[in-house]
Amino acid sequence: MKTKTLSRCLSLVLTVSAVLLFAGPGFAAKDVIKLGCATSFTGHLSRTGKLYVDSYKFAVDKVNEAGGVKVGGKNYKLELVFYDDKSEPTESSRLVEKLIAEDKVDFLLGPYSSGVTIPDSIVAQRYRVPMIEGGGASSKIFSRGNKYIFGTLPRAEDYFTSTLEFLKEQKPLAKKIAIVYADDKFDLTVGEGTKAQAPKMGFDIVLFEKYAEGASDFSSILTKIKSAGAEAVLVAGHTGESINFVQQAKELNVTPYLLSLTVGPTEADFRKALGKDADYIYGVASWSPQMNFPGTIFKNTQTFVEEFKKKFGYDPDYHNASAIADIAIYKDAIEYAGTLDRQKVRDAIAKTNLDTIYGKVRFLDNGQIKGTSVVLQNLNGNIFQVYPNMGHNAVFPMPAWNKR
Amino acid sequence: MFTQVLINGLLKGGLYALMAMGMSLIWGVMNIINIAHGSFIMLGAYATYWLFSQFGVDPFVSLPLSMAMMFFLGWLVQKYLINFVVQADIFITLLLTFGIELLINNLALLFWTADVRKVNVSYGAGNFQLLGTTVPAVRLAAFVLALLISAILFYVMNRSRLGRSIRATSQELDAAKLAGVKVGNIYAITFGIGTALAAAAGTLWSILFPIDPTMGGILTLKSFVVTIIGGLGTMLGPLIGGLILGVVEAVGTNWLGSTYENLISFSIFLLVLIFMPKGILGGRD
Repeated sequence: MKTKTLSRCLSLVLTVSAVLLFAGPGFAAKDVIKLGCATSFTGHLSRTGKLYVDSYKFAVDKVNEAGGVKVGGKNYKLELVFYDDKSEPTESSRLVEKLIAEDKVDFLLGPYSSGVTIPDSIVAQRYRVPMIEGGGASSKIFSRGNKYIFGTLPRAEDYFTSTLEFLKEQKPLAKKIAIVYADDKFDLTVGEGTKAQAPKMGFDIVLFEKYAEGASDFSSILTKIKSAGAEAVLVAGHTGESINFVQQAKELNVTPYLLSLTVGPTEADFRKALGKDADYIYGVASWSPQMNFPGTIFKNTQTFVEEFKKKFGYDPDYHNASAIADIAIYKDAIEYAGTLDRQKVRDAIAKTNLDTIYGKVRFLDNGQIKGTSVVLQNLNGNIFQVYPNMGHNAVFPMPAWNKR
Repeated sequence: MFTQVLINGLLKGGLYALMAMGMSLIWGVMNIINIAHGSFIMLGAYATYWLFSQFGVDPFVSLPLSMAMMFFLGWLVQKYLINFVVQADIFITLLLTFGIELLINNLALLFWTADVRKVNVSYGAGNFQLLGTTVPAVRLAAFVLALLISAILFYVMNRSRLGRSIRATSQELDAAKLAGVKVGNIYAITFGIGTALAAAAGTLWSILFPIDPTMGGILTLKSFVVTIIGGLGTMLGPLIGGLILGVVEAVGTNWLGSTYENLISFSIFLLVLIFMPKGILGGRD
């Protein structure tokens, strides 16, 4: 009796799944280009992951409104297929495989963060499906001879280059610098890249220290920074850690001439969480909303910023802009290739030379974007690009905490 | 610099102590390792956050309120969920509290999103100079409050009728029942006190650090370590354990580097387990 019920259940399940399986592709319209993306909807990366999801959707809607993608005289609509990777690398690569094998997506978009992008890019390579990603900048993604991965964030090693150049021009000269970084793949590359570069530019590294990703207490590092007398502090970490770091710098009264953090200062959350204490904090980014470039999906950077703010109610930062560029590149490359053939589209992406609201996009041979970063500073509750100077002057050195 | 490191460690230790107190109490009385403890801390932190951001209630003022709310929640959770398995094997209660943790965390992610938030009080990062070191004022306040709450708990446990009933239940269940202690009630109240203590820790945490729905996991682990180091079954255990962990972490990270914070805390944990399996204060009563 029991076995009978079991087998009945089993056959029911099989029938239902068979129906779903065969019905699945039938639902899909013919004139659609599917872009698959497994990224962080939940989990510890979901805050930044959301920026990408918002931007991908926004850009795809815009492309479709304007008629879609023209291939061989026919207009195709773009369609996004999302999965939540829970911020876990193994889950993410499994889902990318699912996107390719089951959902039969045409092309891939990347997840957020370098650690998740590495396994995902390997899956893309195995199936020879191009992946354009806007959320991973570690050299470990691009040093594997992977021909199918393209990234729109600049090299992690160079993240602080512009900041060091900026420091050279300031008075008083901040000669003693402290480099602090989280021990994940991306920040490790930033930290080590900066460490290699700084002495060549005449800086002394007085502290080079990593902390555990997700750490909340920085009193130990800050105490060391203070006793080492660092004049510039460069931190490579994530939003939560950045907020902690700044707050605790104030608690322990640590005032270097410059305090710059890679992720955080550009985000609205950072200013909301720290309030007035966010002022004078420096950041770096591959893009800022003060820039102005002609675009393809949007008229130019400023119209993008305006429309984005209206639709989502928050200021876009470089994550958003990078994601917009990803979609623009696909549209351009597919139209250039004139086919949906993955190999041909891949070759077209490699040859990209495109104006986007994110700036001019061209790729290095390893698939990473040719680009640099700019220095930003929070002033009066807003973020401004201060180097290269676009009309807003930096406040340097930062005023002491008790003199604000 | 060493004094500064020591002060950093002691102040952090006070917070650890308060975090672990609730876990230690529930563990000691009911033999339940509450995996959801960190999630209750998180809820306490969010209670404070919402009271502050929506109604402008100062965290130190809202502390009793969020403690009361969490007491009630803990009481409900114990009475209508955990009570069914309280006599069962420890793995069953582990699974149940693990399930509660997943549920709370994911509901929090759903309703409050993963945004990093902060209770931004005007005195948030105030400090003063003492003996050539910088003492963060709010951390000191949190430290003093942790000591104060320990003292109150210590008093309640040793002097009041409720405390005696709780201790009796934990020491000799059958005898307590015979003596007329309503064990079911005592369990629910104890669990409530445990979550209220978690809420107090969460409130202080939310003033010092940014909060998000997934912050609880590491706090459960830290509370667990503190409980083991201090020893079960004593009210002073978490306090001693917390202070030791705080100082060892501060000195250790200063010496080895911050990336090894968890390595240091779990090494201490292992050493204590090997050489003093009952914890530093354990096994005396």
